[in-house]
Amino acid sequence: MRRRPLVFLFLILAGCASAPEQGPAPAPVEPAPPPSVGPRENIAVAGLMESARTDAAAGRLPAAAASLERALRIEPRNPRLWQQLARVRLQQADYTQAESLAARSNSFAGGDAALRAENQRIIDESRAARR
Amino acid sequence: MARRGRILRYFTYALLVAAAALAVYVLELDVRVRNEFEGRRFALPARIYARPLELHAGLRITQADVEAELRELGYKNPGEDGESGWYRKSGSELDIAVRAFIYWDGAEPARRVHAVFDGARVAAVQDGAGKELPLARLEPVPIGGIYPAGNEDRVLVRLSEVPKHLVDELIATEDRKFYTHMGFDPRALVRAAASIATGRLQGGSTITQQLVKNFFLTPERTLRRKFTELVMAILLEAHYGKVEILETYLNEIYLGQDRDRAIHGIGLAAHFYFGKEPKDLSVAESALLVAMVRGPALYDPRRHPDRALERRNLVLRETRDRGSITLEQYTMARSAGLGVSPRPTMGTSPYPAFVQLVHRQLRRDYDEKDLRSEGLRIFTTLDPRAQVAAERALARRIAQYDKERRFGQPGLEGAVVITDPSSGEVQALVGGKDARYRGYNRAIDAARPIGSLLKPAVYLTALSEPSRYTLITPLDDGPFVWKSRGAPDWEPQNYDRKFHGRVPLRVALARSYNAATARLGTEIGVEKVLDTVKKLGVGRELRPFASTLLGAAEMSPLEVAQMYQTIAAGGFRSPLRAIREVTTQEGRPLQRYPLKVEQAFPPEPMVLITAAMQGVVREGTAQGLNAYLPAEIGAAGKTGTTDEQRDAWFAGFTGDRLAVVWLGYDDNRAGRLSGASAALPVWGDIMAALLPQPLELPSAEGVEQVWIDPQNNLRGDSQCAGAVQLPFMQGSAPQERSPCTSVAGAVADTVDTTVKKTKSWWERLFGK
Repeated sequence: MRRRPLVFLFLILAGCASAPEQGPAPAPVEPAPPPSVGPRENIAVAGLMESARTDAAAGRLPAAAASLERALRIEPRNPRLWQQLARVRLQQADYTQAESLAARSNSFAGGDAALRAENQRIIDESRAARR
Repeated sequence: MARRGRILRYFTYALLVAAAALAVYVLELDVRVRNEFEGRRFALPARIYARPLELHAGLRITQADVEAELRELGYKNPGEDGESGWYRKSGSELDIAVRAFIYWDGAEPARRVHAVFDGARVAAVQDGAGKELPLARLEPVPIGGIYPAGNEDRVLVRLSEVPKHLVDELIATEDRKFYTHMGFDPRALVRAAASIATGRLQGGSTITQQLVKNFFLTPERTLRRKFTELVMAILLEAHYGKVEILETYLNEIYLGQDRDRAIHGIGLAAHFYFGKEPKDLSVAESALLVAMVRGPALYDPRRHPDRALERRNLVLRETRDRGSITLEQYTMARSAGLGVSPRPTMGTSPYPAFVQLVHRQLRRDYDEKDLRSEGLRIFTTLDPRAQVAAERALARRIAQYDKERRFGQPGLEGAVVITDPSSGEVQALVGGKDARYRGYNRAIDAARPIGSLLKPAVYLTALSEPSRYTLITPLDDGPFVWKSRGAPDWEPQNYDRKFHGRVPLRVALARSYNAATARLGTEIGVEKVLDTVKKLGVGRELRPFASTLLGAAEMSPLEVAQMYQTIAAGGFRSPLRAIREVTTQEGRPLQRYPLKVEQAFPPEPMVLITAAMQGVVREGTAQGLNAYLPAEIGAAGKTGTTDEQRDAWFAGFTGDRLAVVWLGYDDNRAGRLSGASAALPVWGDIMAALLPQPLELPSAEGVEQVWIDPQNNLRGDSQCAGAVQLPFMQGSAPQERSPCTSVAGAVADTVDTTVKKTKSWWERLFGK
């Protein structure tokens, strides 16, 4: 008996998810991105990516990886997160993981050629290092 | 004379011998007291935590679910300003006073979090001043521990962390001369002696004696034991200061029972009864703890609030009479309620099956002794929301089935595993219909035939050869006989006892045709299929028999979850994990269990098999799911039913969760179970309760989407009646056009692809 309203709710949600085709304003709290800025990322994810970058630069690699995993729990289909994690593993000389993670990034990269090129670079470097 | 002298001499000897014996006895006790008191370290259980809930704008969760999590954390509603550990609700907003907590990656102070909800999602997260917070962690729910002998649980405190009024109350009630006596109270001793005369051995113990009793002695009540206790108390006092004795006492004292878990020490009791740090206990609250010293069961404030209140007020009165608290403090404390937090009890764990999995994974890296004594903190992947949804759905459905006797006699059992498909984190694990039962864990330990759950591996193997197989390749579902030397002929039947002639590959999987699958599997080779199963992450060796193709192989629900995990993650295998991090009790990081991925399959065949498994739900044996989830979710899955309907399975995934459900009888009785009628409703209930994300097909460069006219399996377009869009590996789609195609259709499809492009542009823009 309680199922009906739930299903209804999903329909609304599913409607929202595909709404952008018809026009902007997917949800009231998500304002349209300013045109000059790159892809709009969830601010939680952006924050975690930033702290991962800082940690990686300072050599705190496990902390960087932890932040990226935290971000991936929020956006598991974000290819940049997978790529950054691949880069951290490369830095840690974990070449098997670096290669796999870069391949995983590719599976979400769509037509982003620059992203794919960087993934390929990580894969090549990992393979070379393993040889 | 001489005789008298001799008697006196013997008497003296006897006295000397007695004195010597006593001295030896005392010395022996002295050694014991010093050794044990000094060597003694309290064994502290490993503490296990769920995943912390991380609030951020955009998170899909209902306000009610966040409140449920806060209640489970023992947060009060409403709460008092100036403290943490409460929340306030106003309409669709929550004000949360988050407690401080030491995470694996550092300490976070107590802080205010303001969350605004919009339908089933978080619209905004702010701090106390209204500034936007990118991410706010709520501390993780404790979900149990790995306990020392006797399931003793405690949280150590230093005397300096205990409020002075608690110590005053304790001394006023239990041992007024504590700071001046030598371990015993002579007057109390006389009273005790008198009571022996009347035959009733009782009390008069000092704090030191109580400690000795709990620490060194068994609870029997004999004169000899009383004497030993007295001597040891004196020795303890001789060797150690009052502060050390008091501190040990405060950590040792037994203060209640939570099912099979024993609550010891003020530190844990403060959390258990009030959800507070000991230093934050009020005069009234600490008086209640002191009141319980005499009889934690008798004065249990949750079960006997009146009795507990009366004794608490007695403690307050005695403390006031001694002048340790002011009249004002006394009046205020006396008028206060008990203030006990409503936190539900959990025993050693509310989720024993999951904790068992955690324990097993830990045992690979840690000594059992260390796990039970070092106070390690274990941060796990459990999602209490998913866990509760799984427990409820399983228990309710089984109760319903048993009542209706739809599947034979009562006594049906089941198990559920839920994971995050992208990371392999185990979010929930239910080991039986009674989720609180700490025993046989079917999710891990029951290996049962998996039936048709193996079919995706057969079809994935086939689809990895695009030159031979596509989703529309016709398969023969005619009668099939497999002959092999030394074994009887194998003639698999279909579930509906019919054969269906030539059917497209995707339909054979969707309708779970056995004859077609057996023929396909033997055509490509059983060994090849078994290799696929291994690459999917199944460690168990399966027998290379043709019957294995139809699921004669046995697996636990957890193993099935691992196999489907790899499919759900687009061919990337991640070992299932229940632990994220381990720290020492002070919070120093010891170990991380990182996310690991390994590409086991190229992306192309994964797109195809996932689409085929979506077909199972859209138009196959799992069509029933459409009553639970809207078609837009695009769930993919597979039903499984074994011989004589002994096992019912459903395994499948949405965009953000994977779940495996098994139902069957422990004695392997034949039921009238089928995957679709018994296991699928459980799966549907669980997913419907968890706001699932739509499943998007993984993308792969070498795959194109083509409209197919199902009438003739030729290339169609969107205007063809009943046409379906299916993925094909580049160059493997049919070239011939179906007669149903039209110019209008071609135009519509061009527009359609533009729309698709726009969508992916939007998707990129929103990072979805």
